[in-house]
Amino acid sequence: MATRTAPPLALLLLASFPVTGLAQEAVEATTIGGYGEVQYSNHSGKGTPGEVNLERFVVYLAHAFSDRISLRSELEIEDARLENGSASGEVALEQAYLDYRLVDAVTLRTGLILVPLGILNEIHEPPTFNGVARPDFDHDVLPTTWRELGAGVVGHLPGVSVVSVRLYLLNGLRADGFTAEEGIRGGRQQGQKATFANPSFTGRLEYGRPGLRLGAAFWYGGTAGQDSVLGTGAFDAPLAVVAADGRLDVGAFQFRGEFATIHVGDAQAINSRYGSAVGSRIAGGFLEGAVNLLRPIAPASRQTLMLFLRHERFDTHAAVPPGTAQDPALARRITTFGLSYKPLWNVVFKGDYQLRRNRAAQGQDDVLALGMGYQF
Amino acid sequence: MGLGARWWNRAARSLGAVSGASLLLLSVAGLTGRLSAQSAPPKKVGAALDRVFGPGTRADSLSLDGTIVLRMFRENELLGYAQVRNVKGKDQPITYLVATDTALQLKDIDILVYREPYGGEVAYEPWRRQFRGKSPADSLVVDRQIRGISGATISVNAVTAGVRAALASFARWREDGRL
Repeated sequence: MATRTAPPLALLLLASFPVTGLAQEAVEATTIGGYGEVQYSNHSGKGTPGEVNLERFVVYLAHAFSDRISLRSELEIEDARLENGSASGEVALEQAYLDYRLVDAVTLRTGLILVPLGILNEIHEPPTFNGVARPDFDHDVLPTTWRELGAGVVGHLPGVSVVSVRLYLLNGLRADGFTAEEGIRGGRQQGQKATFANPSFTGRLEYGRPGLRLGAAFWYGGTAGQDSVLGTGAFDAPLAVVAADGRLDVGAFQFRGEFATIHVGDAQAINSRYGSAVGSRIAGGFLEGAVNLLRPIAPASRQTLMLFLRHERFDTHAAVPPGTAQDPALARRITTFGLSYKPLWNVVFKGDYQLRRNRAAQGQDDVLALGMGYQF
Repeated sequence: MGLGARWWNRAARSLGAVSGASLLLLSVAGLTGRLSAQSAPPKKVGAALDRVFGPGTRADSLSLDGTIVLRMFRENELLGYAQVRNVKGKDQPITYLVATDTALQLKDIDILVYREPYGGEVAYEPWRRQFRGKSPADSLVVDRQIRGISGATISVNAVTAGVRAALASFARWREDGRL
C-alpha cells in the first residue's frame, strides 16, 4: 500500500512554491488540420477516357474549451466545387461533436458522430489506406462515411485497459433510401433534419497493442421512418449490422481485413412499399496484404513504399426476400494491386490496377488509377 | 476479489495516497514544462511515481531551462529522475511522465492525461513497455525500435518523439554537470 505520511522536507518545499500552481487553469486552444485527395482513374474499354477529380478536400477544426471539454469537426468539399444543378459536388459536415472527458476511462460524446463500424468509416485519411480509392466494400456494404446525430460514451473498461469501447445512441436509417446495388447507403441521414422516429444503437469493442488491432462492432435500429405501411414503432423494419476487422503489422508486412453482414428485416415489405430491390442479407469483406519494399533496401529510412494486394468479395443480394429476383451481378469480386509511396507518414502518392468482376460477368472492367493524398 | 472491488480499492488508495511526492507535486504540477496550461492532476503524478519508483520515496526538484526535473530519493539514496511533459497529438497535448534511473536509463513512461478521440492505446502497458531500459544513446524510431499501433499513428509518433526529447534533455544536463 502506498499510504504514508508526508516527510517534513516535502512540506517545506511545498511552502516555497507559488500557490497558483495548485489551480489547473483552462487555456482555450484551436487547432486546424485537414486531409485531401486527388484521384485519376481510367476504365478499360472504348469511349472511357481517363478522369481526374479532386475527390476530397477536408478542413479539420478542433477547439479545446477546457482541459475536459472539446469540439472536433470536419468540413468536406467533394469534387472540388458545387453549383446549382450540377450532378456531383458536395459540401458536408463529416463530423462535429463535443467530447466531455469525465474521467480517464470515460468520455461523453454528442453531436454528429462517425458510426464505429469497420476500419475506414472512422479512419479514412488517404495516407492510412492502400489504393487510390477506398475499398468498394466500404461504399456498398459499410456506407463510409456513415455519420449520424446522437450521443454516447467512449472509453475503456476499468482494469481491462487494453480494450476500448464506444457506445452510441444515434438517429436511425430510412428504408426508403435502400437500393439493390448500394444496400443501406441511401438510407443514411447524415445530420440533415434526420428523423428520430427510429433510434439506433451502435457500438464497438477494440483491442489494440503494438502491431495488432482487432475490432468488433454492431449496429441495430429500426428503419421504418413512421411509414404507415412499414410500421410506426421505434424498431419497426429492424436492421442489424455485425462487423469485424483486424490490422496486423509484422516487420515489413502489413495485413488488414474487414467483414460485415447486414440483416435487413422486412426487406419484402420495404421492396413492395418503395418499388426497390434491396436484399434481405448483405454481406462480404476484404483481405489485404502489403509489404514495404524499402525495408530491405534502406532499413534506416522512414519513407515507405508499400506493394499491396487486396481482394474484396461482397454481395448486396446475399439473400433476397420473396418477390425480389436475385441479381448475380451484385455478387462482386474486386482485386486491386499497386503501390503506395509515402515520403513522410502523412503524405502519399498512389497507383493501382483494379480488376472488377461479378458473378454474372456483366459490365466487368479494369481500372487504372493514380492519386495523391495528405493529412495534417 | 472481484474486478469491481479491485478497481474500487485502487481508486480509494490513490485518493488516500497523498504521499510526499504527490504533496510536493501539488505545486510542481502547475509549473511543469513550457506547455504548463495542460497539466496532470498531482494525485496522478504521485501515483505514477509510486508505480515506477516504488512506495516510500520522496522527491525534490530542480528547474533546468524552465523544465522541472524531479529527483527521486528513498531515504538518502538517489533513485533517479522524472519529468512531466506535454507533446501535441492531433489536436490536444498528451501529458506524459518520463522516469529514468541515475544512469539515465528509462525506467518507464506513463501517459498521465490523454485527451484525443482516437489512439489512446499509447497509454496501455503493452506499448509503453517497449521504452523500458532505453537510454539517451539509443535511437527511438517508430516501426524500428518502437512498434507502432495502426489507428494510433499520430499519438505513437508524438509520444515517441516526446520521450526522445526528454531523454536528450537529461543527457544534455548531465553533460554540462547540472544533473
